[in-house]
Amino acid sequence: MQFRFKLMAGAVAFALSASMAIAADPIKIGVSGPFTGGSSSMGVSMRDGVRLAAAEINKSGGVLGRQIQLVERDEEAKNERGVQVAQELINKEKVVATVGYINTGVALASQRFYQDAKIPVFNNVATGTVITDQFKPPQYPDNYVFRNAAKDSIQAPMIVEEAITRRGFKKPAILADSTNYGQLGREDLEKALKAKGITPVAVEKFNIKDVDMTAQLLKAKQAGADVILTYGIGPELAQIANGMGKLGWKLPIVGSWTLAMANYIDNSGANGEGARMPQTFIQEPNTPKRKAFIDAYVAMFKPKNNRIDSAVSAAQGYDSIYLLAAAIKQAGSTDGPKVRAALEDLKTPVEGVVTTYDRPFTHDDHDAITANIPVFGEVKGGRVVYAYDSDLKAGSKVREKAGATASK
Amino acid sequence: MTILIQLVYSGIALGMIYAVIAFGYQLTFATSGTLNFGQGEALMLGALVGLTLVDTLGLNYWLMIPIVCLFGLVQGAFVERIGVKPALRIKSEFGWIMSTIALGIIFKNVAENLWGRDDLKFPSPLPEAPINLLGANVLPMELLVVVGALLMMAAVEFFNRRSIYGKAVVATANDRDAAGLMGINTSLVITFSYALSSMAAAFAGVLVAPLTLTGATMGAVLGLKAFAVAIIGGLSSGMGVLVGGVILGVAETTTAFYISTGYKDVPGLVLLLLVLAVKPAGLFGKTAIKKV
Repeated sequence: MQFRFKLMAGAVAFALSASMAIAADPIKIGVSGPFTGGSSSMGVSMRDGVRLAAAEINKSGGVLGRQIQLVERDEEAKNERGVQVAQELINKEKVVATVGYINTGVALASQRFYQDAKIPVFNNVATGTVITDQFKPPQYPDNYVFRNAAKDSIQAPMIVEEAITRRGFKKPAILADSTNYGQLGREDLEKALKAKGITPVAVEKFNIKDVDMTAQLLKAKQAGADVILTYGIGPELAQIANGMGKLGWKLPIVGSWTLAMANYIDNSGANGEGARMPQTFIQEPNTPKRKAFIDAYVAMFKPKNNRIDSAVSAAQGYDSIYLLAAAIKQAGSTDGPKVRAALEDLKTPVEGVVTTYDRPFTHDDHDAITANIPVFGEVKGGRVVYAYDSDLKAGSKVREKAGATASK
Repeated sequence: MTILIQLVYSGIALGMIYAVIAFGYQLTFATSGTLNFGQGEALMLGALVGLTLVDTLGLNYWLMIPIVCLFGLVQGAFVERIGVKPALRIKSEFGWIMSTIALGIIFKNVAENLWGRDDLKFPSPLPEAPINLLGANVLPMELLVVVGALLMMAAVEFFNRRSIYGKAVVATANDRDAAGLMGINTSLVITFSYALSSMAAAFAGVLVAPLTLTGATMGAVLGLKAFAVAIIGGLSSGMGVLVGGVILGVAETTTAFYISTGYKDVPGLVLLLLVLAVKPAGLFGKTAIKKV
């Protein structure tokens, strides 16, 4: 119900802003994500970040003197819906570019249509390593897929680094869900562990909607695990934490960034405290830009307890629109190939909330986030906070993409 | 040994969740020979209505239960009147299958629009710290599920055996035509059994919700597992669903531990196939001879 009203309010707002800018046609940008379902806390936060950025840009006069108009579609985290949405946005809505994708599977199934239509598609949340490699040169002359999220091949080594090197655990157990996301992540984790010469003592699987994790946890316990590494999404991760609470067997949890999802934090309660995960953004106003973003977000969308459901998704969604707007401005056109070329050669740095994007992309590198950017977050008191004080203190110093200056 | 006890505890708790839902299947099958395939959705609606009462309206957990049961009664009667009765009237063999499935989908979609599709936390009425029993841990809520399920089944059995209305139910279950000739309003009895089965599911919903998560999609998997339990135990036996539930629950947790977590769901389904092959009426079911 609430969702309906928000949609309607959004539609009215857009209609108003459109009628004010009669002078020029609006620039249509597609937004594709799961706004309902188990991934929705990420999808809705992403969409709200996108809305906030678009509203700010429109207020200051738009891009090329034209307003940004968002065309939002819910793909319900389903591959087939994602494909439909992509075709609709390209052929019917004639979007200039699309931002979105929370789920790796949906991104992989849908983004080929953008590639074929030569329209940039901007992954702002999905982390599957292969996403930006799908149409990689030299097999394809030009790649239209961009991303400003920390890919799994960055996250998995970070998780291992945190658990094994920094905190000195020796016997990790991996618990991953049976989806593509979980199993690809598990492979990345095992690879990263192998690089440290460590074999996990247990590797267990669980299904989406499983309500009992006793067997998986007992196996890990039996194998003598001293830390649990996870790859899954919120609800089942919460069942893992709750299962440990039941067994009275408390182990530290370190896992992929999804441990920051609101439905993990809320459903696990006290059992979920202390879980750590890599984060590109933590809701902490430690720079003026971040403070402005958080204040504006909270004022505009009024999240429960002033906590952004998925702060990472909101921040990356917000940044993706600014990057795109900068590229359109530089290209002086909304033509797909020109926008792509501009993205690959952004002349002026874009100040985002995650980082300052100074030449974030090149022709052969379409990932804006490198391993030095994410920090470790920790679940504490029902929120995600910086795991290390040093990161919190250094947080005001924005971490920029590694090697960016070298390539200049 | 401790591990086995722990697995069995978890299996029993899980199995009792399946058993209460399976009990609902059995209630309607006994009287009308039909099943409500929206049983999982009745459970989901019960849990969500309960959550709204507790969370939004601030009602006490125990006071909420009777309201949810009442809601379940009405919902079950509605399903029977809309979906099953027309099919029975025209003596359609299978119409009720589609109509109960269809109603289940409609309920799920309505719930998605009202409550969203995210999984929500159901506040636990009991402390969340585990209790140690014979060296293994149990959550107080798991004990409540087992006790609550047993109490509810006992209450329904007691009602059927001892009260005059219950005797009407039993009579209808035994021979609908003969019961009708004796002046029993069998159509009302069938409506009543549907209401009762949905009430059982709604009650099960608020019982299990603090353990599982609550959400519009929670019914699908549980409803299916419960159906397997009803088949294993036998659709005509109350004792059967109890035993069937425990067997399936324990099979799942022990397989996951001793074989592989990837094959957790396999033995339950193998057992289902075995039962169908060897004793189609279920472990505790009576073989009925259908005269043509």
